[in-house]
Amino acid sequence: MVGYDGPIYMTHPTQAICPILLEDYRKIAVDKKGEANFFTSQMIKDCMKKVVAVHLHQTVQVDDELEIKAYYAGHVLGAAMFQIKVGSESVVYTGDYNMTPDRHLGAAWIDKCRPNLLITESTYATTIRDSKRCRERDFLKKVHEAVERGGKVLIPVFALGRAQELCILLETFWERMNLKAPIYFSTGLTEKANHYYKLFITWTNQKIRKTFVQRNMFEFKHIKAFDRAFADNPGPMVVFATPGMLHAGQSLQIFRKWAGNEKNMVIMPGYCVQGTVGHKILSGQRKLEMEGRQVLEVKMQVEYMSFSAHADAKGIMQLVGQAEPESVLLVHGEAKKMEFLKQKIEQEFRVSCYMPANGETVTLPTSPSIPVGISLGLLKREMAQGLLPDAKKPRLLHGTLIMKDSNFRLVSSEQALKELGLAEHQLRFTCRVHLHDPRKEQETAMRVYSHLKSVLKEHCVQHLPDGSVTVESILIQAAAHSEDPGTKVLLVSWTYQDEELGSHLTSLLKKGLPQAAS
Amino acid sequence: MDPECSQLLPALCSVLADPRQPVTDDTCLEKLLDWFKTITEAGSSLLLLQEHPCLLGLLCHVLKPQDLSPRVLAFSLRLAGMLAAQEDCFQYLQQGELLPRLFGEAGPLGGAAWTAPSVRSGWIQGLRSLARHPSALCFLADCGAVDTIFSLQGDSSLFVASAAGQLLVHVLGLSLQGPAEGHPGLQTGDWPVCAQKIVSHIEESLRSAATPQITQALNVLTTTFGHCHNPWTQVLWVRLSPLVARLLEKDPVPAAHSLVDLLLSVARSPVLSSSSCGLWETLAQTLSHLSPTQAGPLALGILKLQECPQALRAQAFAVLLQPLTCVLEATAQAPGLLDSWDGTGGASVTVDTLLASKAACVGLLCRTLAHLELLQPLPQRPSPWPQAPLLGATVTILRLCSGSATPASDAGGHLCAFLVGCVRVQRAALDFLGTLSRGTGPRELVTQVFAVLLEYLTSPDSSPTVLKKAFQATFRWLQSSPETPGCSDLDPHAQLFLRELLPVLPKRLCSPCWEVRDSGLEFLTQMIGRWGGQAGFRRALLASEVPELTEQLLRDPESYVRASAVAAMGQLSSQGLRVTPASPEHPGGQQKSLLAELLHILSTDSEGFPRRAVMHVFTQWLRDGHADVAADTERFVARVLQVASQDLDWEVRAQGLELALVFLEQTLGRPSSHCPYAVTPPVAAPPSPLAQALRPLCRVQLFEFAFRALFDCDRPVAQKSCDLLLFLRAQTASYSGPQGSGSVPEVASVEAALQRWQAGDQGQPLGYLEPEVVVAVLRSMDLEGLRGALAESSDRVEKSPQSLLQDMLATVGALGEDEADCY
Repeated sequence: MVGYDGPIYMTHPTQAICPILLEDYRKIAVDKKGEANFFTSQMIKDCMKKVVAVHLHQTVQVDDELEIKAYYAGHVLGAAMFQIKVGSESVVYTGDYNMTPDRHLGAAWIDKCRPNLLITESTYATTIRDSKRCRERDFLKKVHEAVERGGKVLIPVFALGRAQELCILLETFWERMNLKAPIYFSTGLTEKANHYYKLFITWTNQKIRKTFVQRNMFEFKHIKAFDRAFADNPGPMVVFATPGMLHAGQSLQIFRKWAGNEKNMVIMPGYCVQGTVGHKILSGQRKLEMEGRQVLEVKMQVEYMSFSAHADAKGIMQLVGQAEPESVLLVHGEAKKMEFLKQKIEQEFRVSCYMPANGETVTLPTSPSIPVGISLGLLKREMAQGLLPDAKKPRLLHGTLIMKDSNFRLVSSEQALKELGLAEHQLRFTCRVHLHDPRKEQETAMRVYSHLKSVLKEHCVQHLPDGSVTVESILIQAAAHSEDPGTKVLLVSWTYQDEELGSHLTSLLKKGLPQAAS
Repeated sequence: MDPECSQLLPALCSVLADPRQPVTDDTCLEKLLDWFKTITEAGSSLLLLQEHPCLLGLLCHVLKPQDLSPRVLAFSLRLAGMLAAQEDCFQYLQQGELLPRLFGEAGPLGGAAWTAPSVRSGWIQGLRSLARHPSALCFLADCGAVDTIFSLQGDSSLFVASAAGQLLVHVLGLSLQGPAEGHPGLQTGDWPVCAQKIVSHIEESLRSAATPQITQALNVLTTTFGHCHNPWTQVLWVRLSPLVARLLEKDPVPAAHSLVDLLLSVARSPVLSSSSCGLWETLAQTLSHLSPTQAGPLALGILKLQECPQALRAQAFAVLLQPLTCVLEATAQAPGLLDSWDGTGGASVTVDTLLASKAACVGLLCRTLAHLELLQPLPQRPSPWPQAPLLGATVTILRLCSGSATPASDAGGHLCAFLVGCVRVQRAALDFLGTLSRGTGPRELVTQVFAVLLEYLTSPDSSPTVLKKAFQATFRWLQSSPETPGCSDLDPHAQLFLRELLPVLPKRLCSPCWEVRDSGLEFLTQMIGRWGGQAGFRRALLASEVPELTEQLLRDPESYVRASAVAAMGQLSSQGLRVTPASPEHPGGQQKSLLAELLHILSTDSEGFPRRAVMHVFTQWLRDGHADVAADTERFVARVLQVASQDLDWEVRAQGLELALVFLEQTLGRPSSHCPYAVTPPVAAPPSPLAQALRPLCRVQLFEFAFRALFDCDRPVAQKSCDLLLFLRAQTASYSGPQGSGSVPEVASVEAALQRWQAGDQGQPLGYLEPEVVVAVLRSMDLEGLRGALAESSDRVEKSPQSLLQDMLATVGALGEDEADCY
């Protein structure tokens, strides 16, 4: 609707489920809220045509500079954390993730990708959550008790995620205890979602995958599709119904029917926002105003059991340990709790941790590595010196760095001059060395030549016809001292390339010439 | 405020004031403020305060040094501002010195709470609501608020910074409301102190070397000129324009985006553009100083202006056209008419940008194409519009992307390397090409257009998104091609193209990508809808494999494709284009009828989209009197309604009502024009005696369907049904059928059944109903009441202020550790 025309990246399960959820969203907006100008089914289809599905751990090249990679997040089916990389810099954005495997999904996992920044959710920034087993036992016990006393149990769920986890839990329990009370789930979305869990079995946890050969965990024996008429059936039953916050639809209808009987029970497996019946009963309200000033008295038992799938403080620390980021940024949490986690992360991992408020900008210092292209000529010249490049042994390489159009190239200085159309200027260092020698300049020069020839065996020492001496690029000339005829002045000059040799030579000459020759 | 809320308010205020009872959900506070806003807008704030002293108590309480949550503090600041927006209430609060303590140095401003962005934001929003009257201005000056707002413009929180800018604009406007409005000639030197201070601050910022500060100043000015068209804005612009123009002397131009926004905002202002004030010169200068990428939006903005000097328009258009000129030159084509627009230089900069890197090249071309696409349909677009060169350039770009163009220079080679296979540019170019179909072009160029489209449609390299655009552009070009005079068929040129296109379509319908199959089917449906009745097209289509393949796609694994295939088959069948050869399995007989096949999809397809598509086709068929339907309309309608009523998808049921309405119209006559479902003229039957007319409706069990839908758990279905029944009742108003004693018990039993349905038990069917019973039931029902109830959102009780207050009170301490527990 805003005209975005580029690709949308998703994991395969998300791609499969997305249109269904968008249709549901549309339905709620149009149906419950009466939105007239909402997106249409055609728009959803057009949107899905832009989707590019990605596999876990597959590096996707978005364009020449940007690449992305998905990691398993374990929050719901298809949930992924994304690593986003440009050049040598990268960010990991977790979204919602869960570090403890549950009944149907595995734990989030990331490799040691050492991003510059890890942006992580921090819903449970200070909570160390009790064992999932305890919560599950509690849940089963409560359901069992209610059913035993002939009550009806309503479990409002969202189509995707907890519904599947709790279905597996109850199905296994019913099987083990040989229970006969019927379990239903309201038709519609959940049914479809179950279908996708079957389809994407590789995304579920290890246990489900292992037992898959004998039995598909998502083909339930005890759980049947629900029909509206069943709600009035006598006797106990368990019903999973959508939506999860009791704000509309089937779950709310069933709730209204069953609320007046104290034998019945409603179990809320997750958070409810203000403005929903779920929020009201969880905050302890027992007299609810309904349409037309009617009052519904809630006598049924109301239970809250958190089955939400977020990493707790321990899980967040674990992920930071796995990814080894240079810095961490906490989002989706409460400031006070995040402050605590921030300190803990900074202490334990010695990395900087940020927790910006909404709309606040964080600037991170990074040391980007910038790739530089080296000209073939320069490389060949380097190779000619006999040393093969070795990644473990860095070597000094002289050249000229040319920066043009955000490209960096290292070329030989000759090539650089040629490319840039510049003339070469020679920079020479000069030095005067006083030598006590009454002989003529030519003879002094000769003595210097002989001396250097004998000392610098590895270098090319030459005596030129004009009387001067050269060692590589270093030029030595002898001259008479203007005031003291017993002293000769040696003029030494060298280019910056031979700086080392030049300094060595001057210090050598300063020590004087050997006596033997005199 | 209703009495229930009045009762709850004191308790809520004391909860808010208690730091030991933290409010965990700040969305509740937002909702609370929304509610207060509606109250204060509707009535006297002073009265509200006097009737609810707890509010004043809360405002006083938050000032005490304590560990109060920033949320509550921010809430209180905003509430105080909202209340003080009315001058009498402002005075009342001033008496208690409450406002300076809340908004002045002594308040949160100087305290530790100020570190929370929400408090800073609350402070700004509070002042924003408060600043409505002259007394408020004095207050702002007295408490030194303006200086604080200046510093908040650079806040680390974007929300705070942006709100500070907005507030500054508001204060400037307010301070000039009285004095400068009356005297448009008043110079800034004579402006009120507050306004002068703001203007000096803006000047200082514009002179600054720091880009963020310049950006802030430019944004403030943009908002000012955009929202306020008083004469004083002209005085302001005259004073500041030299400083703005000086920004252009810097290299690179700082805050270029904001500068463009400002200049366009000034140019759009009716006060400023008419007087010019050197504006056009500045715009011209800016166009030539900015980089081609930055200048694009400015150029487009200039060309969209209603009044603007011709020379500037020419310059702006030249900027937009430059990249395309470069493309044409790089491929050794004469830029043609583009030359006449492109005379201002700057081409070398454009070439540099295009050749700098792939990202720069792609970005500039995409933006240019998008700008030209926006410009093309506007009445004020440049004239003469260089249609032919633009077509040429677009075709060339598409060829460069597909690798079929031959570059004529080094630059061309570079472009080629950048663009080959670039999906982004392909998409943008195809979109623009489609838009260009609104104009005509020389035959030769149109041939090239069709050739390049065919190339894309045929190429195995075309990505699904590109193919979709290619299909769309193709349809637009075919649509625009002139029809042969005297015969409403496609012109020979397009016919020829069609002959080449139709062999391509089957390949696309067999593509492994569902997106491609679907786009192909959508294209086909459009084509049949447009040319299905024309001989040339029919011949070509029937000679191809397309109809057969389309039918096969009714069983596609992808539901979207099945839905599109249903739509396409519906069209094919309506136009008599469905191939029905005698197959070897059914010697002498026909294949399974399409009606039966679609009914099968309606009753068995596991996904909603194909079922919805079937309902659309059926409704259309009924409307058009399709032969298969006309053979036994009643049987058809009865069958479809029966299946649709069982459907789990609300849109299928809603569409069922649409079909029912069409049938109703055809049986009883069309509804009056106020009916929201009025449709194209149906074949209305003469209004025979009503009972007789209602009989067919009873036979197809339309009432059972409509009554069931009336109590549907999905509101749009129920609403639609309610409208339908109301229409029906209006039709039967004049009917005075026999009030026979025999029908009374039947009416009662129907009413009882309907009550059970309303309660959620829809198991028992109504069976056949006599027209008299239907009329009686319709009369006895409170349909208007039901319509009123259905018009309300289903969660309105939970969303009411009373419910909000109850929830906030109940939540205190109840949720504890669970509050952060989210799905």
